[in-house]
Amino acid sequence: MPDEKLKIGVYTCYCGGNISHTVKCEQVAKLMEGQPDVVISRTNMSLCSDAGQSQIEQDIKELGVNRVVIGACAPSLHEQTFRGTVMRAGLNPYLYHHIGLREQDSWVHACDCEGATCKAVRLMAAGVAKARLLQPLESIQLRAEKQALVIGGGVAGLRAALDIARQDLRVVLVEKSPFLGGRMAQLETVFPTGEDARELLHRLIEQVVAHPNITIFTQTEITGVSGYVGNYGVQLLQHSRGVSDEDSEKMIEACQRLVPDEFNYGLSERKVIYRAYPGCYPPSAAVDWEYYFDHPLQVNGKQVVLKDEPKTFDVNAGAIVVATGFDPYEPRHGEYGYAEIPEVVTLPQLIRRLALKKDDEIFQWNGHPVRDVALIHCVGSREVEGVDEPHEDGQVNNYCSRVCCTAALHMTEELHQRFPGLNIYDLYQDIRTYGRGHEEYYRHAMENCVRFVRYHGAERPEVTTAPDGDSHPVLVRVKDSLTYNEELEIPVDLVVLAVGMMPRDIDNLVKMLKVSRGNDRFLLEVHPKLRPVETAVNGVVLAGTAQGPMNIQESLSAASAAAAKVVSLLGQGKVELQPFVAAVDAEKCDGTGACVEACVYEGAIALETFEENGRQVKRAVVTPANCSGCGACVSVCPNRAIDVQGWTLAQYEAMVDAIAMDIVDLVEAA
Amino acid sequence: MNNLHVDALVIGGGIAGMQAALDLGDQGFQVALVEREPSIGGKMITLSKVFPTLDCCSCITTPKMSAVAHHPNIKLFTYCEVQSVDENGAGFDVAILKKPRYVDENKCTGCRQCEYECPITVPSPFDRNLGSYRAIRVPFSTAVPQTAVLDIDNCLLCGKCEKICPVEAVDFTQQPEIFGIDTTAIVLATGFEMTDLGAKKEYGGGELPNVIDPLMMERFLAPTGPYGRVLRPGDGMEPTTIAYVQCAGSRDQTQGIEYCSRVCCMYAIKQAMLISGALPLAEITIYYMDIRTFGKGYEQFYQNAQAMGVEFVRGKVASIREDENHNPVLRVELTEEGRLIERTHDLVVLSLGMIPTASPQVFGLLPSSDGFISLPALNASPCATERPGIFVTGTASGPMDIVDSIITAGAAASDASAYIRSKIGMRVEQSEVAYA
Amino acid sequence: MAQIIQTQQPKILILATLAGGYAGADSTGQSHLDYPANTYILPVMCPCMFPPDFFVRAFERGIDGIIVMYSGTDSPYKVEADGTAKLINNAYALMKERGIDIRRLRLAAICTVCVKPFLKEVNQMNELLQGIGFVKSEIASRAASAQGAQA
Repeated sequence: MPDEKLKIGVYTCYCGGNISHTVKCEQVAKLMEGQPDVVISRTNMSLCSDAGQSQIEQDIKELGVNRVVIGACAPSLHEQTFRGTVMRAGLNPYLYHHIGLREQDSWVHACDCEGATCKAVRLMAAGVAKARLLQPLESIQLRAEKQALVIGGGVAGLRAALDIARQDLRVVLVEKSPFLGGRMAQLETVFPTGEDARELLHRLIEQVVAHPNITIFTQTEITGVSGYVGNYGVQLLQHSRGVSDEDSEKMIEACQRLVPDEFNYGLSERKVIYRAYPGCYPPSAAVDWEYYFDHPLQVNGKQVVLKDEPKTFDVNAGAIVVATGFDPYEPRHGEYGYAEIPEVVTLPQLIRRLALKKDDEIFQWNGHPVRDVALIHCVGSREVEGVDEPHEDGQVNNYCSRVCCTAALHMTEELHQRFPGLNIYDLYQDIRTYGRGHEEYYRHAMENCVRFVRYHGAERPEVTTAPDGDSHPVLVRVKDSLTYNEELEIPVDLVVLAVGMMPRDIDNLVKMLKVSRGNDRFLLEVHPKLRPVETAVNGVVLAGTAQGPMNIQESLSAASAAAAKVVSLLGQGKVELQPFVAAVDAEKCDGTGACVEACVYEGAIALETFEENGRQVKRAVVTPANCSGCGACVSVCPNRAIDVQGWTLAQYEAMVDAIAMDIVDLVEAA
Repeated sequence: MNNLHVDALVIGGGIAGMQAALDLGDQGFQVALVEREPSIGGKMITLSKVFPTLDCCSCITTPKMSAVAHHPNIKLFTYCEVQSVDENGAGFDVAILKKPRYVDENKCTGCRQCEYECPITVPSPFDRNLGSYRAIRVPFSTAVPQTAVLDIDNCLLCGKCEKICPVEAVDFTQQPEIFGIDTTAIVLATGFEMTDLGAKKEYGGGELPNVIDPLMMERFLAPTGPYGRVLRPGDGMEPTTIAYVQCAGSRDQTQGIEYCSRVCCMYAIKQAMLISGALPLAEITIYYMDIRTFGKGYEQFYQNAQAMGVEFVRGKVASIREDENHNPVLRVELTEEGRLIERTHDLVVLSLGMIPTASPQVFGLLPSSDGFISLPALNASPCATERPGIFVTGTASGPMDIVDSIITAGAAASDASAYIRSKIGMRVEQSEVAYA
Repeated sequence: MAQIIQTQQPKILILATLAGGYAGADSTGQSHLDYPANTYILPVMCPCMFPPDFFVRAFERGIDGIIVMYSGTDSPYKVEADGTAKLINNAYALMKERGIDIRRLRLAAICTVCVKPFLKEVNQMNELLQGIGFVKSEIASRAASAQGAQA
């Protein structure tokens, strides 16, 4: 290649008159003709037309043109077209350079033909100068593992896994707890359809379990991630189930240790050998190793202590889907009386409680009948800095948790259906029933005589125990902006807190995957508008509430969208990246390492040790898959040993020299 | 034209349609994208900036448009409308009307000489009739394809365009054509229209000159808009007090639109922030029922607007009249103070709602009670319609913002891919990948 | 050889990012707005790649003014905003050493439809250069006065 004689073809387009009415294309072409290494310089009425493109192809094939410079309309319009032209003629598509002579010349200097023409000459000369230094480039092809890792077995993880598997890719689905289903399993009916949550969930789980491309690992955590897009190496740790299907019933019976049941948000207890809920998947019981503590079991007259024998193993994945879900906000002790007053409960807890007491005809709480209920919105959401107390990490949850207004009003409808005489006070800031079919819940609530009380964020309602002898156990004080800030004191039997969503504690995973979190501490997408399910890490995508509060329908859509991205990435078994990445000239590199320091992209460049002439030397090595082509390394290298391929410093210097040349020089150089 | 066979037909070239086409094309499927306007881009290309990031809208739409045009697996059909959809056992036979551009698409290079020569100027719907363009024109500067189209109804047949065209692309003899596409799956992305400006008589929209719709305000705020500034259309004056009337086309039984249009709170706040930048002395008031800033970063956006001095007043505006200087006068109950007031502003923007553009009947589908396409499996497959093989995305399935449109586009692509594979029953050979 | 009459005008080089300034320049062109023909725009992916001596070398070759039109915080490269600002500062330091008026190098965030800001930058740079003249003259006169001071 270096010995091949340069044969530059220069083409100046009339652009149907758009360029030629100001820029004297013939003069430009004539001047280029005489430039060193130029073997042909033509004009054309319309290079992008079939005829124009054919001319270029012909010159490549017949004249041996091996560098192409085209002066025409803006590259955004036809650069791809001409790359195709060049490729069809058998030339590397990166041996062509495009100069914009229309939007940036003829159209903006319409009154200055001479100036526009001089400018065109210099720009074309710059193009020729760059063309002399162009090298053929190949897009970076990485072999991609046709397997995806999905982290999280809730509705989003399940949906993503199924959608990916259906496209002939293998999926490894990993779930930290012993059971699939996530938070959707903890619901009873879902809005806006009123369908049964677990029925919907089980239909999805059945499809996932039945799919031959999906392998499920429960009680499994990620302990290490290495590699890059197309080739991630993931280390997994799987705990033992602890009991086999044959002896699990005996073990469960023998088990005496009880812990709060997180499925019911602590409202009930369960054994440390357990099933999450009737009909759960996998149906086998599991040992909760976190709370087992070598609890001895008396089985058949013998003492048995169960042991966890964790296994570590590795899987390869071309892409990773993060679907780790959310936690409902847990109010602080005393926040609206939570954990201090027994009649204060969160909405998720109420849902579980109503399910546990499905057969109760009378609504009871803490031994008293419930006739009046206060429902408070925005608990743990829409917090204001300086007004609300920060959480452990010093932040406030200033975001809206999106689903709670509809969830709360859905609950008022459920309560009204079950306990028709119930009085409900709804204390809110704004009713955000934004979705399709959601506004109906607001209307029904009003029709069902829910009393709406509107408070301002800075002055939140106060919940206190009522004095002894009062008709009700709890008092709620609130300033109602709908009645001109009158302070109301509402006696109630139950306070329900519509709590928001919190991101889960996945610090370790975040560090391993090198993904970012937003100000709201949920996982951050690379562009909130354009690329809502991708992260800045190539090959890692987000599905569901790990990214932010959303309802089931929205989680399903996000999971499917994430799956579509994974399939585009891995479907062909290889990942193709543009070649505009950094490349090191090992002969010039002396291992200073300034490039490594300047680089902000994880894993893009590193110093590696090589043997050279019997000595150990350090040289910079680029990992193209992780390189963005920003060039921060280029500007700091003391030896000019690194460049961004296709956009080298030498090329720019040559272009600058051509622009700086006087036209007289140009004429003489011809 | 012979019947073209594709794996997926996407109907609608707005952001949802483009994204669905790209997601399907990237997975290796052959896609046809049909758009009834002469250019793709939908409503998004007419906007100024997007919430909550205040990104330049054009900067984020044009790369998608370009990607669609250059994608090896996507065939673009603009200025075409679907006439009928019939099942054929393996998929659907779709009849499409190709409307005549009176310009040969294969020859036209978008040089615009015809546009410069044309003597006729017509109001431009792209600029909400505030600006104008020629009878023959490339629809707008960033149009894809950059191909001219002639509005024959406003054409004098003077022939100047034909004479000046350097590649002889003008063809007055063109006729509408019907051609067929046979496809395995269909993705509907037909988008939305704003509710009618004049729907609520009490608001005077369409009669009072200084009561406008939000897309007009977008054009005022857009750098490529007709005036490049915010002016009131009545007399060209720069407004100093501007009011937004929320829920002007939603949550309103009298208009028959009971649903929430989801984006109006955010777009009103966005426009208020942009106006504050363009007219630093302007006073902006948003009259609302509930502020629904529920999305990621949206609540902070609302808090920023309040900090910037945008006034939020809780009250549903009852009526709007005008005074002798054409200044709109709003009549509203201040719910937090319990009194009725009248307030005069220079300019009023009615935050209109969204209604679906296409009637589902063409596709053999029934609308839901809210007029949007019915979604029978909302909590299992949110993009599935009642007809297997037909999927829906974007605002055709209900009001939503750009982020949710892009997400549902990905979901529709995912659903459509699974459907296509199940129908074809074989591995799809991926020819070229377009991932960067 | 065809004779081209060339008037001596200062030359302005614009390094414009593909995602920002370059597209902004194209938008300006689509709007058919007018500006002087002595501006030469080169597309760049990200301006972080240019070391400070690149700019000085350009000035010494006879480029009279350089505007770096970057994408600011809208950039697809996370390092662009801070990295470019740092680079320009380092370039200023080097320019000062070489006696080149630092106003000849400017950094501006230009987006794809920033037509007015684009024109403003070009016109401002032209005005400045009309005032302070050609860079080669400036370098020569500084060298002469330095010699003179030594003599």
